[in-house]
Amino acid sequence: MDINGKIYKDFLSRIERFKVQNGPEKIKKQHAKGKLHARERIALLFDEDSFEELDAFVTSAMPDTGFGKIDEAFGDGVVIGHGRINGRIVYVYSQNFTVMGGSLGAVHAKKIIKVQDLALRVGAPIIGINDSGGARIQEGVASLSGYTSIFHRNIQSSGIIPQISMILGPAAGGAVYSPALTDFVFMVKKTSFMFLTGPDVVKEVLNEDVSFDELGGAEVHARKSGVANFIYEDEENAILGVKKLLSFFPSNNMANPPYIDTKTEQEKNIDKLRAIVPDDPNKPYDVKKVIKLIIDQGSFFEVSELFAPNIVVGFGRLQGKAIGIVANQPKVLAGVIDINSSIKAARFIRFCDSFNIPLLTLEDVPGFLPGLDQEYNGIIKHGAKLLFAYSEATVPKITVILRKAYGGAFCVMNSKNIGGDYSFAWPTAEIAVMGPEGAVSILYKKELQEAEDSKKLQKELAAKYRSEIANPYIADEKGYIDEVIDPAETRKKLITAFETLENKYVDQPSRKHGNIPL
Amino acid sequence: MIFSKSKNSKQKFISCTGNNKKYEFINPKKLYIKQGKENIPIEIITDKQGFVYIIWKKKKYLVNIIEKNQNKYEVLVNGVSYPISVETPFSYKRRKYLANNKEESKIERIQAPMPGKIVEFFVEEDQIIKEGEAVLILEAMKMQNEIISNVSGKINKINFKPDDIVMKDDILIEVEK
Amino acid sequence: MKKIKSILIANRGEIAIRISETAKKMGIRTYGLKTSKEPSAYYLQFMDEIIDLTENTTDIPEFLDIDRIINSIKKYNIDAVHPGYGYLAENPYFAQKCIDEKIIFIGPSPDSIYKLGNKTIAKQLASNHNVPLLEGSNGNIRDIKHAKQLAQKIGLPVIIKAASGGGGRGMRIVENIEDIEKMLRLAQNESEKAFADSSVFMEKYVRSPRHIEFQILADHYGNIIHLGERECSIQRKHQKLIEESPSIALNEELRTKMGESAINIAKASNYRNAGTVEFLLDESGNYYFMEMNTRIQVEHPVTEMVTGFDLVEWQIKIAQEEKLTVKQKDVKLNGWAIECRINAEDVQSDFTPYLGTIEKINISKGKNCRFDTGVTEGSNINANFDSMLAKLICYGETREKAINNSLSVLNKLQIQGIKTTIPFCKAVLNHPKFKKGDISTSFIQKEMKQLYYQETDEEMIAAFWAALNHSVQLDIEDKTFIDYEKGKNITPWLMNKRLKSL
Repeated sequence: MDINGKIYKDFLSRIERFKVQNGPEKIKKQHAKGKLHARERIALLFDEDSFEELDAFVTSAMPDTGFGKIDEAFGDGVVIGHGRINGRIVYVYSQNFTVMGGSLGAVHAKKIIKVQDLALRVGAPIIGINDSGGARIQEGVASLSGYTSIFHRNIQSSGIIPQISMILGPAAGGAVYSPALTDFVFMVKKTSFMFLTGPDVVKEVLNEDVSFDELGGAEVHARKSGVANFIYEDEENAILGVKKLLSFFPSNNMANPPYIDTKTEQEKNIDKLRAIVPDDPNKPYDVKKVIKLIIDQGSFFEVSELFAPNIVVGFGRLQGKAIGIVANQPKVLAGVIDINSSIKAARFIRFCDSFNIPLLTLEDVPGFLPGLDQEYNGIIKHGAKLLFAYSEATVPKITVILRKAYGGAFCVMNSKNIGGDYSFAWPTAEIAVMGPEGAVSILYKKELQEAEDSKKLQKELAAKYRSEIANPYIADEKGYIDEVIDPAETRKKLITAFETLENKYVDQPSRKHGNIPL
Repeated sequence: MIFSKSKNSKQKFISCTGNNKKYEFINPKKLYIKQGKENIPIEIITDKQGFVYIIWKKKKYLVNIIEKNQNKYEVLVNGVSYPISVETPFSYKRRKYLANNKEESKIERIQAPMPGKIVEFFVEEDQIIKEGEAVLILEAMKMQNEIISNVSGKINKINFKPDDIVMKDDILIEVEK
Repeated sequence: MKKIKSILIANRGEIAIRISETAKKMGIRTYGLKTSKEPSAYYLQFMDEIIDLTENTTDIPEFLDIDRIINSIKKYNIDAVHPGYGYLAENPYFAQKCIDEKIIFIGPSPDSIYKLGNKTIAKQLASNHNVPLLEGSNGNIRDIKHAKQLAQKIGLPVIIKAASGGGGRGMRIVENIEDIEKMLRLAQNESEKAFADSSVFMEKYVRSPRHIEFQILADHYGNIIHLGERECSIQRKHQKLIEESPSIALNEELRTKMGESAINIAKASNYRNAGTVEFLLDESGNYYFMEMNTRIQVEHPVTEMVTGFDLVEWQIKIAQEEKLTVKQKDVKLNGWAIECRINAEDVQSDFTPYLGTIEKINISKGKNCRFDTGVTEGSNINANFDSMLAKLICYGETREKAINNSLSVLNKLQIQGIKTTIPFCKAVLNHPKFKKGDISTSFIQKEMKQLYYQETDEEMIAAFWAALNHSVQLDIEDKTFIDYEKGKNITPWLMNKRLKSL
């Protein structure tokens, strides 16, 4: 056929119209708000020229009633398709704010559902880029039905393919639930917001003045609510973040996580590790230093850094193989476990377990955070989530006790009895039912009351307790841990241990699903 | 595809300094800095001990990156620290746009400039304070340091009590402007 | 006369090394203390013997634990103890305890330490011997009412100081009468914390004075000489940062006069061993006695450089009751010496202590230069100790040459891993007013617009380095090959089990 013939003429004129619709003035409009265009985001996300768009020419559904005006535009307010990120197939939908504010109507929803179904069918990760004013009011209940179908697919895909949400504009009302159901949420400072009810409603109902940023800005969700796992200054860095995060995940729950080929250098002892835990057991230190020294250089990618910083979770690599890391952070609140840190760690552990990512736990925990506030808000129930998550996880699980491992917190943090495969301890470890000071004041209550200088006696007894009871050697000799190791050898030990566990599988009793204490 | 990534060879980076000065570099890997119309080459050398130097216009500068977070760097040059954020042309535009549209936060947080022990608070919650007023004493390295409020306002919240140990950047007091 | 054969150095860091070097030169065996806070410290490498105090730690820091130190000295049969500066150096109780236990304390008598350590008594001594003093409270402040009366009598500004203080702790300047209550409380608080004694006194505050101090040596036989002055006007919050000897502000006449005053103070307190008399010198050449420090000072090397004396050697000689062989007229100040203190502090963030590990250090000293340090590569700088890393002392025939010499060494001095005050020292030495010698204790606040030295293009170099590293990093991330295929190769064992669980 002739390219200048009639058939091609129609074909080409449509493409021309499409190009005009996505022209520079639309992009300018987004840029003026400090945001990128939906298509620019996609271009940054995928390998060069690998993106294939689907349903580019569908048009919006017309409302049944004559209420409101609907722009006729190709593709409605969302761009969908697939492409390759670091060579691997990934599905994407990216809401286009320049078409009717990215509002979600029936066609818009149908497109998202289409990629969701495809991603699940082929077992490939899916990324949702949200930048939408919300439900398209003109289309009425069709919008709501669309949202609900999206939620349903989010849930169906959960634990089968990795789902990542980027919030790069507003996400209000029902729109927030799709991101909330996915595995990880990225936000960008100042230009992305998430809330169920906006500032106007808050003002109306509660008479409180709040700004968009205070109510649902990136900082708020990263620090206070924990909804956002990652926040960035700008969209380009956020997209780089998504790519980095994806590099730790397999495409679906049947595959193992990908490797990065590392130089096969002879593993050396890392002497610096010996110097991190301070001599004084009550002195804080930064557990992230320990993590960064143990895993491959520069591979640590922290998740939910700002939320519940008393526990550190994130991904890293050991000789190129992805692992998930959970570590108590002695620098913040001495690393106690509280409600938020339990929830943060439990969710992370369940993600790793879903996608066959082995877990490393670095333990230095004085116990649970005491107090009315914690007890009233159900630290029992929330702490149980952490216990549940560790216990049900069947991926390789290794613990290194860096320092304190007291009481209930010892049990919760991946002890051998809840299925931990290997448990190592540093010589600085203190493993006991409770901390020396507390234990001594119970065991020697009478003696302390009668003593002339009770403080001094308590100190002496505590020191004795620390050296005689709360040391790692007793636990080692009785078999509650596997080995007391030289901190400098930690990396070597972990590499070997994870290698031996590569083929680990645990037969689980068959059931519909467990009942995690929510 | 309509949009594609800019080619690496022409990639432009804009380095913004702490006081919002900007320096533009087109493909810095080519190792020169443009001054006026001239491209003046840069030499990078590493000595036996591992110190890294930049030589430019016959002058030697000791350089070292001490912190990196996303696109934000803290660079020491001859021992002096420079906070630099590396932006692309778009993110630079965005930065400027956001700076103009800044939504002023009503809460100012007074953070611990260093780790230490709180000795005493001079203020109570709900108290009105003036800019430059000392709000507490923090003891670090055996020295007592007055922590000063940079804003006037009402003390909204005090997060610690005397004798508490605080870490660097802990939020000590929140002041409502 | 008892010859000292062994010395316990009851201190750490650079001063422990400094003392040990001289002692070893004199054929004396040196003992150092190994503490739990830094069991692998650098100074221990310079000791002949190490006494391990890391077991059974107590709340009292090892260098302040009089009983343990005395016991160690007796256990190892050590002749003498050198306290260095800080810690027990000016503790009369410790000096007395040494005498009781027949240990030679290298320093003055407990009585001198006590009298000169208490500023109120020291001032009385000075006024009895016609040494000029600043008008002050003549005793401790009783209460806030008393403080207000005194301030009105002396006239603002006034300074409130800890009676048993030093090193800038427990000092507050009152400019407005409304602040006096707050400042009094602060001074008392700080004094109580630092010295377990909340008594404070008040005196007139001299604006823009110079800090001039005289080095004294006194033997057991009533011979007292001074080794000239040191100027320590470059201070921040009463912490000395750059010191020099001699001072540009003194002519021979004033030097003689002030030197005599210094000797008078020493005489009045029956002083022996090395000591330092501190004065304030105002713009019209009036000087006022401040205090006498009964120890070796941090900044002693500048005096050593211009006089050729080894002060620690003389401390030891005097302690073993040798006679001072040098007469005052034989003491000559030759050339100029400047000391820069290199502290682990962030100059750009209000001199806050900077903690971390020294990754690399590089010093090329050259002639006429001394680098006294207690740290080396791998040393950990933590909050347990003060932030001074090293002292750089440079000599020149003239002040100008000494400054230039210092600058050229500072430019080549590199420390990686922590932020230091090197850029600050460079800024001072490059300052035109400093070069002219136009300085005072308020030099930093008044004259320095920028507290760190900057080359013109430094910022651009930083910007470039960040951009280059960022672009390289982006390339690395872009090009990293992630092997998704390998993740799909699952052993039959695992695949079988995984499938069964579906």
